[in-house]
Amino acid sequence: MAIDRQAIIDNLSQVQISGNEEGLIPAYGVFITQLPASFWNNFAQRLTNKVDPDLLEAAEYLLVNAAHECGYHTGYGIINSEEWKAVVAPMVEKVPEDVLHGAYAVFTAWGWGKAEIVELIPGEKMVVRAYDYYEADMAEDGAIIRPSAYMIRGVSGAFMDLAYGNPYPNGLYTFQCQQAKGIECGDSYGEFVVTKVETA
Amino acid sequence: MSDQPVVMELEHEFDEKRCRHYLNGQLSVLHCHHYASLYTQLAMDAEFIDAKTILAQSAEDSFFDMLSDSYQAHPELTPDEKLEVGCQYYAVIGLGQMKVLSAGETSGKVALEHSHVDEGWIKKWGKKDKAVNFVTRGYIAALFATAYGKPVQSYIVSEVESIVTGAARSLFIVSSK
Repeated sequence: MAIDRQAIIDNLSQVQISGNEEGLIPAYGVFITQLPASFWNNFAQRLTNKVDPDLLEAAEYLLVNAAHECGYHTGYGIINSEEWKAVVAPMVEKVPEDVLHGAYAVFTAWGWGKAEIVELIPGEKMVVRAYDYYEADMAEDGAIIRPSAYMIRGVSGAFMDLAYGNPYPNGLYTFQCQQAKGIECGDSYGEFVVTKVETA
Repeated sequence: MSDQPVVMELEHEFDEKRCRHYLNGQLSVLHCHHYASLYTQLAMDAEFIDAKTILAQSAEDSFFDMLSDSYQAHPELTPDEKLEVGCQYYAVIGLGQMKVLSAGETSGKVALEHSHVDEGWIKKWGKKDKAVNFVTRGYIAALFATAYGKPVQSYIVSEVESIVTGAARSLFIVSSK
């Protein structure tokens, strides 16, 4: 494989962003913020703890969906960015598989989770493992909670949409992701399985 | 008091082992306006559990910790200086352009000339007929609490003008509980 994951992480982890004169961060075709991870975790955890059990699946679906849309649009912006062209694009030999591996190196560099692809069947299935991710912090002091890595689930689905779905912006929701293991569940890593959405 | 304006210090660190980013010692993560808008919409849809309050309080708790940690190294800062630093922090992290119009221990007014939440919502969906910036309500509650040495949930913050509705600015009214 041509992608040098560590080189991408070493390079792109040093990119620092900050609000412009309007206090906004327009980048990659979206507006970006750099907020405490605890804010996103607090809301997700408090919301899912408070809804009735029969509404939990719906609440979790919406949390995943937020990340799926974010990952799709921001991901598209990233793989068309100057940073990508300078650092990752020269390593890409096989499209879109190397693009996917590169995307997870960027995902790691920018602090969403220390994650990599461990299995890829082009156009069909992807398995991602995350060895450290902020969403696992929702389980404090060794507590075990239900799988809660909604952001990684959503973004993983989005990355497969970008790789194998119809051309942007028409490929959203071609794929879906389920969480098979979680650090917050007591496992040693999180594992995320992406498959194609069944169409009637 | 010095005539020199107070300038916020921002220290960024990347933990190479865990691949995590820290701003002034706080674990921080990048997210886009799609994410913020959809979280906000979810909070509005889950009215039956008062999820808007959950969103605002989640923001207040996190930003309270963030601002408190930032001020710890500067015990000499006055409340006005802490409010100024808090506005600078708001801008640096990409939430927008905030100005405290008036402030005291029991009340205040805060305006936004630019807002990630409002302008992100408009960019995604267009204007809306009601306020959506629960995140900033939480931020301002934390800002006043840390500036005046109070605990969290010491202030009520109401949004009375909103960029998302088409107003030229957003305006928040602050009052102590």
